[in-house]
Amino acid sequence: MANQPKQVFTNMKTYQPYHSPFDPCRPIGVKFYSTPPNLYVGFQPPNLPQFSPKEALQKGTLWPIFYDYYENPYEAKRREDK
Amino acid sequence: MKQLPERYYQLMEEIQAVDFVLVELTLYLDTHQTDQQAMQQFNQFAQYSKQIKQQFEAEFGPLLQYGNSYTDANWSWGTSPWPWQV
Repeated sequence: MANQPKQVFTNMKTYQPYHSPFDPCRPIGVKFYSTPPNLYVGFQPPNLPQFSPKEALQKGTLWPIFYDYYENPYEAKRREDK
Repeated sequence: MKQLPERYYQLMEEIQAVDFVLVELTLYLDTHQTDQQAMQQFNQFAQYSKQIKQQFEAEFGPLLQYGNSYTDANWSWGTSPWPWQV
């Protein structure tokens, strides 16, 4: 762990599942999972900056730090593969 | 169905946005019960919500039934467009 290169922080985590040599399916490659921003906030501090009401309605949260845009990482990968 | 005016959608969006802020502030205040500033904001939005709903009802008819909204002189709650018609 200690001598791993320092990585840029991202909400999108990855892991590589084990692929058995006897597995008839081809390897699935890297798996992604998204972690929500509230995991890294702890107890919500008061007086956070807020979205405007209309923007909040659109984004699904009143506070920008909890806004979690999801971009499908598999789509991006598929585009790369093509 | 006749075409609804642009203002109907503007007011409706405003009502939805303001009510969403109230939902968010309610959840926030459930865990931050001493945050006076948030409570002040909550009351401010609650008042504004009432105000724009009143305005909406004055122009486009009642939003609620069973006594939660006032009726007009034509008992027109059944003739205004239903949510799936707007």
